[in-house]
Amino acid sequence: MSTTTTRGVAQPAPAKVSRPRPRRSLRASSTFNFWLFTGPFLIGLIIFVFVPIGWSIWLSFFEARFTVTPSEFVGFDNYQQILTDANFRNSLVTFTVFAAFIVPATWALSLGLALLVNRLRFMRAFFRSVFFLPTAVSYVAAALIWKMSLFNGVRFGLANTVLGWFGVDNIAWLANPDPPWYWLVIVTVRLWLQSGFYMILFIAALQNIPRELYEAASIDGAKPGWQTFRHITLPQLRATSTAVILLLLVAAYQAFDEFFNLLGKATWGQPPLVELYKMALGQNQNYGAGSAGAVVLTLLICVVTLLQGKIMGFGRGEESK
Amino acid sequence: MSASSNMNWDRRNVLRAAMGLAAAGGLAACGSNTGRSGGGSGDGLVQYFHAYGEAGVEQALKRYAKAYKDAGVTTQWITGNNYEQKLFAALLTKNAPDVFEFHPQIQLVKSGQVADLTDIIEPVKDDFNQADITSHTVDGKIYGVRMIDDPQFLFYRPSLFKKAGVEVPTTLEELIEAADKLTTSKVKGIFLGNDLTSIDRPLIWSAGADTLTADNKPAFNTDAVADGLKQLRGLFTSGNLLLDAPADSWDPSALIQGLTAIQWCGMWAMPAMQKALGDDIGIFPFPKVGSAGKQSVYNGGWSMFVNAKSKNVEAAKEYVKWLWIDQKKYQEDFATSYGFHIPPRTSLAQSATKLKSGLPAEGVKLFNEFGHFDNIGWTQAMIAAFWDVIANTVRKDGDPKAQLDACEKKVDAELKKLFG
Amino acid sequence: MTTTAPGITKATKPAKARRGGVMGSTGLYIATGVAALLFLIPFYLIVRNALMTDPEITGETWKWFPTSIQWGNITEPFDDVTVDFAQSLWNSVVVAVLHTAGILLVCSMAGYGLARIPYKHANTVFYAVLVTLMVPTAVTFVPSFVLVSSLGWVDSYRGLIIPGLFSGFTCFLFRQYFLGFPKELEEAARVDGLGYWGAYWRIVVPNSLNFFAAIATITFINGWNAFLWPLVIGQDPSAWTVQVALSSYMTNQTVNYHLIFMATAISILPLVLVFLFLQRWLVQGIAQTGIKG
Repeated sequence: MSTTTTRGVAQPAPAKVSRPRPRRSLRASSTFNFWLFTGPFLIGLIIFVFVPIGWSIWLSFFEARFTVTPSEFVGFDNYQQILTDANFRNSLVTFTVFAAFIVPATWALSLGLALLVNRLRFMRAFFRSVFFLPTAVSYVAAALIWKMSLFNGVRFGLANTVLGWFGVDNIAWLANPDPPWYWLVIVTVRLWLQSGFYMILFIAALQNIPRELYEAASIDGAKPGWQTFRHITLPQLRATSTAVILLLLVAAYQAFDEFFNLLGKATWGQPPLVELYKMALGQNQNYGAGSAGAVVLTLLICVVTLLQGKIMGFGRGEESK
Repeated sequence: MSASSNMNWDRRNVLRAAMGLAAAGGLAACGSNTGRSGGGSGDGLVQYFHAYGEAGVEQALKRYAKAYKDAGVTTQWITGNNYEQKLFAALLTKNAPDVFEFHPQIQLVKSGQVADLTDIIEPVKDDFNQADITSHTVDGKIYGVRMIDDPQFLFYRPSLFKKAGVEVPTTLEELIEAADKLTTSKVKGIFLGNDLTSIDRPLIWSAGADTLTADNKPAFNTDAVADGLKQLRGLFTSGNLLLDAPADSWDPSALIQGLTAIQWCGMWAMPAMQKALGDDIGIFPFPKVGSAGKQSVYNGGWSMFVNAKSKNVEAAKEYVKWLWIDQKKYQEDFATSYGFHIPPRTSLAQSATKLKSGLPAEGVKLFNEFGHFDNIGWTQAMIAAFWDVIANTVRKDGDPKAQLDACEKKVDAELKKLFG
Repeated sequence: MTTTAPGITKATKPAKARRGGVMGSTGLYIATGVAALLFLIPFYLIVRNALMTDPEITGETWKWFPTSIQWGNITEPFDDVTVDFAQSLWNSVVVAVLHTAGILLVCSMAGYGLARIPYKHANTVFYAVLVTLMVPTAVTFVPSFVLVSSLGWVDSYRGLIIPGLFSGFTCFLFRQYFLGFPKELEEAARVDGLGYWGAYWRIVVPNSLNFFAAIATITFINGWNAFLWPLVIGQDPSAWTVQVALSSYMTNQTVNYHLIFMATAISILPLVLVFLFLQRWLVQGIAQTGIKG
């Protein structure tokens, strides 16, 4: 948010400068240049993003089954249907639970890995690569590994094999929601896939912390370890932490692939996107209700983002975590 | 048309794409149609099939299509668990298939998606299994040609039954008891699919209920069905049910790999099972649920539909007539050379030698004796609503009666939209 | 990287020395090693399963290593008659490369325009871009597909690539980055008589290569790993990307484990190589992003 305001302040000055010089060629006109630079992007954005969005909003007011060019206007019926749909409401709860797991877990793990890697003297590049490598794997591939080899419910799954050594019977990780082991599967797959990337963000930030701060602290008698971490490292990482948490929330909200591939026909563990996807594409091709859900979801996200921007902007950042 | 199927993604295409990019998001460059010259182009037909798991089916379908002289036919073979969404997404566009396989569901008729095929079926109507005609008929018009019937039942390993001293169960209690006796540290008693949704309708029928009544009112919300769900919940928590198998119940892997002693599967998997297990394989129908129930077999299958919005409806109908009505040789090849299916044509079903003896003959017997066919009014939305019931009452500890009530409400809403 | 690294080591050295040197660093290496092992398990599983026979994978006792390594499995995906695996790999290369190049071009220019070129409605435009970040793509999916299909782009590289180029998020990242780009450099360019266009290409881009590399890496991964869109756009197998091909192996009856995992291994390999090669730039690039505020 702060960046936009600086931009707003900076803006009038050059605008004033350009006005008294109308004789300058078109190539130098900043309006022309603005459109030259942003035009291609904006045209594409309108065609491939705004048109579909507009189309979705339009669909949300129609009875649109098996068609995206409906003719039967139904007003807010689709909205009423979606808001009274227990599955849709549950999906919001699922998202909240998921975010509550995955955001702090990824934040802590990626920061922890960054601290470890950053302190290594030998083989640092090696370990960094190891942690970073999973970022290269697709959700399709990861879901496949998790489902077929790591967490399958039969004897040749690795997790059950290891548990078998301790005499534990095979666990149905995904099929049985009670106890909800499926969260372990879902969360670990995402942790594995994305921690490495955020670790890199943290490593970059750690290396930007001025050395003098640590030196000054040790002169002041601060014990290395927890104390310096708590009073120097963490506050210095605040900006990065805030950004990471924001990115993680956005990613959690967009979560689709692993739920879709791992959980299948369940009534639990269905985040909003999966729920909407099932509604519009999966079962009854109800594009009207699906679109209505999308609009509701988008509004919710806008509100949450705005609130979060306020809280993150004025709050105490990552310490409150 | 043929140019499209072996279209090469050579450098020129890459270059064209790159130029498209260069032209400010490619907006200027979209003159020519690089894609397949599919549905709309008028000189050929496109057909959609889901990927049959058995080797050779795709080649067979392409071979039949090639033998058709009146039009070029391109086959789209849709792999992955995404057949429906790909089909329905494609149907919204001008790249839509002219001919596609699916199950009879009334919303396809009501939304004007599938063409009336009465005139091509009428002359041979009597040679079809009458249930296959009924399940494709709405208001006296027939909307699809059944290609294959796929009875689904329980497969078991007689050797394991003998070892455990278990008889073939005929009631759900017996089945659950058998599963308990058959379970060892390495082998689970029974596999009903990872989410148990494939036994949705068998459960309803075996409990003496039905999906819908003849006049399209919900008929599944009975005490017997609720009791059946409760019993299945017991099975689910007993530790005797195989869960989270890497391959689902439509795939014979679990039985073949010795992960389970009993498995829900379809007749199509018989050749694969016989190849792996020889004679050590038997079948029985879904057992009876409650005292008023009756054993049941689900006669699923696939049917051919013509896209009513295609530009080539007549040509597409001609092709469907040629292959799925006239060419009996191909129909028999399709039904018996790869996986096993029952031809819906009575004359073929009687003459198909491969189905005359042994296990396949047994399958045909169960099909005839215990089989239930699709009800065209029981749509995907209703199926999904009932799947939720299974998830909430069998895999979770929900109250069957309350869940069935909630499901009935949803089904009612759907019925109202379909039938007013 | 190389210049900052010694500095950090120096800073942490005294700390470690005081805590009892060898012990502290041994503990550190053990902790890192254990974490690394855990992170490597999935890779290990891929390789193990890819080089085993199916009966061994599904056998009653767990085997950590294949009794005899099945090198023949490596060619199996390429011999498969139902899926043209080599073609799908090539498609993925083309799509990922052009996707990356296109995004870098289009989004960086837009980001620069929004950050640096004064225009009275620039903020309005920027907010319009921001709004797109909030709309879930899975939902505008169907209209997008119908739209792209009506352009005749199904089964084409254009259909696979172009609709994905207009990423509000990438544009946003570029804008944030360019806001922090030193003004002096550009002003010097202006004095030399270069317009925005010249300054951008001769000064701004050459001085931002690390950041471009970072965005390129991330974009390339996303392009390579994309699934849903390629699945629907690639109707004909000749237009499949490797992810779509991979998912198709899962439907074959009697699941073919070694084939699935070998195909997975092959699909991951190019990215792993790209990664190991580009990692250095990625780290540097991210250090300069607007991400860190």
